[in-house]
Amino acid sequence: MHTHSSIRTLDELQEILHGAMQLEHATIPPYLTALYSIIPGVNQDAAQVLRVIVVEEMLHLTIAANVLNAVGGTPDLTRPDFVASYPAYLPDGETDFEVGIQAFGREALTTFLKIERPATRPERLKAGNPLLHRKIPPHKTMLGSHPSNKELHFYSIGEFYAAIVDGIRELEGRAQREGQTIFTGDRSRQVTSEYYYSGGGELFPVVDLKSAIDALELIIEQGEGDGGGIYDDDEHELAHYYRFDELVKGRYYLKGDKPGHPTGPQLQVDWDGAYPIKPNLKVAEISDGSELREATIAFNHRYGEFLKLLTLAYNGQPSLLLEAVPIMFEFRNMMLELIRNPLPGHPGLNGSPTYEIGRDAAGPCVACQAGAVA
Amino acid sequence: MLFPSESALRADPQAVAGSSDYDIVIVGSGISGAIIAKQAAEAGKRVLVLEAGTGVNRSLVGYDDLLTTFYSAATKDNQSPFPVNANAAMPRSPQLRKLQAGETDSSTYIVQSGPYVSDTTYTRIFGGTTMHWEAKTPRMLRSDFKSRTNFGQGLDWPLSFEEIEEDYRLAEQEIGVSADVEDQSYLGQTFPDDYVFPMRGLPLSYLDQQVNNGIDGTSVDLYGQIYPLKVRPYPQARNGIPNPAYDGGRGYRPIGAVDTHQVEEGGRCQGNTNCVPLCPVQARYHSGKTLAKAFRIRGKSGQSLVELLPQAVASKVVIDPDSGKVVALEVKVYNDSASPAHETITVKGKVFVLAAGAIETARLMLSSGLRSTSGLVGRNLMDHAYLLNWALMPQICGTMRGTSSTGGIVDLRDGPFREKQAAFAIDIHNDGWGWATGAPTSDLLELVDDRNLYGADLRRGLIDRISRQLLLAVMLEVLPVESNRITVDPQFTDALGNMRPILSFTVPEYTMRGAAYARQFSRTVFARLGAQDHTSYAPSDFGYVAYEGQGYAIRGGNHLAGTHIMGTTKTNSVVDRNQRSWDHENLYLVGGGSMPTIGTANVTLTLAAMCFRSGRDILKYLH
Amino acid sequence: MSNRVEAFLGLSAELTAFSRFDLLGTGLAERYLGTLDTVVGGEITDMLLAAFVALPPPEDGTRAQALRATILGSELLGDVARALIKLWYSGTWFELPYAWTQRFGPKSADATFVVSPDAYIEGLLWKAIGAHPAGAKAPGYGSWAYPPKIPTFPGSPTSKPDAVSVHPQNAGIMS
Repeated sequence: MHTHSSIRTLDELQEILHGAMQLEHATIPPYLTALYSIIPGVNQDAAQVLRVIVVEEMLHLTIAANVLNAVGGTPDLTRPDFVASYPAYLPDGETDFEVGIQAFGREALTTFLKIERPATRPERLKAGNPLLHRKIPPHKTMLGSHPSNKELHFYSIGEFYAAIVDGIRELEGRAQREGQTIFTGDRSRQVTSEYYYSGGGELFPVVDLKSAIDALELIIEQGEGDGGGIYDDDEHELAHYYRFDELVKGRYYLKGDKPGHPTGPQLQVDWDGAYPIKPNLKVAEISDGSELREATIAFNHRYGEFLKLLTLAYNGQPSLLLEAVPIMFEFRNMMLELIRNPLPGHPGLNGSPTYEIGRDAAGPCVACQAGAVA
Repeated sequence: MLFPSESALRADPQAVAGSSDYDIVIVGSGISGAIIAKQAAEAGKRVLVLEAGTGVNRSLVGYDDLLTTFYSAATKDNQSPFPVNANAAMPRSPQLRKLQAGETDSSTYIVQSGPYVSDTTYTRIFGGTTMHWEAKTPRMLRSDFKSRTNFGQGLDWPLSFEEIEEDYRLAEQEIGVSADVEDQSYLGQTFPDDYVFPMRGLPLSYLDQQVNNGIDGTSVDLYGQIYPLKVRPYPQARNGIPNPAYDGGRGYRPIGAVDTHQVEEGGRCQGNTNCVPLCPVQARYHSGKTLAKAFRIRGKSGQSLVELLPQAVASKVVIDPDSGKVVALEVKVYNDSASPAHETITVKGKVFVLAAGAIETARLMLSSGLRSTSGLVGRNLMDHAYLLNWALMPQICGTMRGTSSTGGIVDLRDGPFREKQAAFAIDIHNDGWGWATGAPTSDLLELVDDRNLYGADLRRGLIDRISRQLLLAVMLEVLPVESNRITVDPQFTDALGNMRPILSFTVPEYTMRGAAYARQFSRTVFARLGAQDHTSYAPSDFGYVAYEGQGYAIRGGNHLAGTHIMGTTKTNSVVDRNQRSWDHENLYLVGGGSMPTIGTANVTLTLAAMCFRSGRDILKYLH
Repeated sequence: MSNRVEAFLGLSAELTAFSRFDLLGTGLAERYLGTLDTVVGGEITDMLLAAFVALPPPEDGTRAQALRATILGSELLGDVARALIKLWYSGTWFELPYAWTQRFGPKSADATFVVSPDAYIEGLLWKAIGAHPAGAKAPGYGSWAYPPKIPTFPGSPTSKPDAVSVHPQNAGIMS
């Protein structure tokens, strides 16, 4: 049994980079669901914050794929366990925390803040075992696991990424000493900003140690900020943690503000301004034969197709990312309909996407046939 | 793109009035003023920008409020996102009516003195008309700069294409144009060997492709000359896919949405089919993007070199009678757009730039009593004349998707026929018959109220009626005519007491001859496509023009130009080739108003290029 | 969900050929029922719902004719039902015809208005033609280069996803 925390082989590195992709992806369904649960006309600021963050999580997913490709890996988003089963668990020191599918609200925001700011190890535990034993049952998704032993996971997402960075340095150093490199990936598999760009952060090809470290640091900084500061780089882009913190504090940050003390204009949050979706809904809970059930299954199928397309895009056909974009927009329409429909048999609660990708054994998708192409 | 926080605050009118160290005072925050402000700040100059509108759309929230206003508007005309502000009123096309002979209609902001009633609009808001423009950015053709020499029509520019070519490239960079050189190399247009546009061209819509399938390889014969037909993509000022080969391989970084306090996304065009009146995601260029860059430039004291004073309507240009130089601007500053209460301040500077659009700049000059030596201020007003032709395609084309227009038929932009009649470019409108008939709402009303359809019949009927719509909007050349003009009269004033523009216009015969041919041309295209022609022009239409026994409804193109044309001497023009006033050495009148002709190119790219030239001239003057 | 809302959804589904799921998916069903109540009043709204409930069952071949006779062809209810169709399709309440107002009396809230910004966005018209409302629900970069995805529905010209176009000759109307 592995008890070491470091990444010692290229296989382990590739596997943990897969884990990074899984982790980055795992935040997308909760953020997207919260975003589309917002009732039109309220919470414009919150919707804006969530939208920006989702776009950047997609960026992070793509960056992780770039790093994996750079070290000769083969990104696969169609693995049966790639999409987390919600609620999934993220390591947060001694306690894990649940990341679920739920409506926008205070509870969701508490989770989001935890996602974006990893726990730091208290001084007294500095010398402790870097890995922790899994506490949650086997059928649940534990993110941030060790690549060679799923029974162990990192202390925090911060340490998870730190292990990746250290592993890359270590393995590349070793390879260099033998006149080789771990960066053997085909350059044409790198996804660059022609195919995906956003206001905060650019995609660049990962081809060597420096670009790999830069890429991973971008992911870390966009989440939690740069060394405790609230902005993630000199472009003055606010880190995700502080964007969420703005919603909690009801005020925007300005340049020069101290963490926790925004001084910008006020913003309004209506904590009840979301449709009452049933948290972590599963297809099995929706009445058989209902339109809602069909539509929920149709969404899962479409999401699965989206992941297939992303997998192709990350495997040498980056231009397919352009085709994936319209599907993301299609999700929005599908999700809005699910979220606004009442859940049969659950008065006061609405439907929700379930993200059971490859998990719903509900048979062939009838509703998927609905889109005729003229 | 982030505005620095201090620029989000409103400048204090008293402090502005008390300042005596502005190098440049600019009237208008549209693209002309924005380009000059940025260029000047980069050279370390102190700049004041005066904006008549409120400026609240500098923040994302303020911008999104415009969108909500649009969603809520029962009539979605091209100014519907922009709230009524009597202190900075703007023309709104739904308010127009046909004039009787000799009649003047002063019920709308622009006083229509006829005989032609123009539905032309411009937007008096932070960002100017780039807040509502369609953002097609073709260059003018080489021959357009010499139409008097080449065709015996119109005027020659005091500039050649070769002299403006480099500034076209600067404008394409600033605006962020998406296009491919190979698509734009028609009718003899050339580009430097290594040139690529900042971003790759936007794909043609499915509708464009269906039209192209029907006409590609065919041609028309005009006065013995053969013109091949094809649907070509337009260059567009909206974010597409950055071209890695741009700028010698350095690539291009697209500019997203602007905001006063956060960096926001707002990337690529998403196909909202709403370029006019408002791109919801700011993928389309507006001059706020240029101003956001300008505001970031700081002087030695660390302060932003560019200041913006919104809610400030320039009302008079004050001239020193001895030197002819401008000494100050009188500016009316209001506090609340719902009230005409205001204070009048005097703003001083070294150089003054009027960049308020062809109509407002002329209005300001004329109401200051400045007609210029040539007497041409306000004259030679031009705007492209549009003739709409609409039909139903035989097959489903998925109309109502894409940018407002992705492609068109542009091969008759030039040719020897221009000795006799106007050239034209045709836009294929991805929003169907909307401009002509009010589709798709008008279709819904007809199918439900008149055809008594409901349920599945209604759904089938809507698909059949809307998804096959094709609108060919023919944009016709209009040449300068001195009697087509803007004037002012003290009997017509706005809420602040400023004189309103009075518009007198006759569509030139040269244009109407082109329109008559364009109608026949459109019928030929429809015949080749097997499309059912639904075009009709009602004599009661406010823009109805009779020509050789037929009638045509002519629409304005909002491509305003010509009210202070540039030329070679102070007697044949208002400004010189650098857009400097011949009469007032520290006054620049910039924008479409300086253009002596407009050819068949939407004017913004060309006027942006001209402003780069003027910016350099201003810096030279200041040194 | 109350019986009244149920009846309203049933009526709306029949008039628009969009399913209850589609209608509820707009998030506007109760607001549109409220719009009817506000503009024409609860009494006329209830008469409209009652007329719908009284229709022969769907399997009865006379249902469509009865709907024409008692709802769309009713002097009182016809214009209200047509306004409801237009409301679902566009998010706009269109002022009732002059003749209706002359006969049944003016209603103070009866003017042309957009019910709310999201009502415009959720107009069924756009979904019916496989497009999106201008200025909202964008389909994404480059999507316009491909054929439209027009949703099928019971009674649509084709129900196979790969079938090609809605042919004018069998599309219900020629214009």
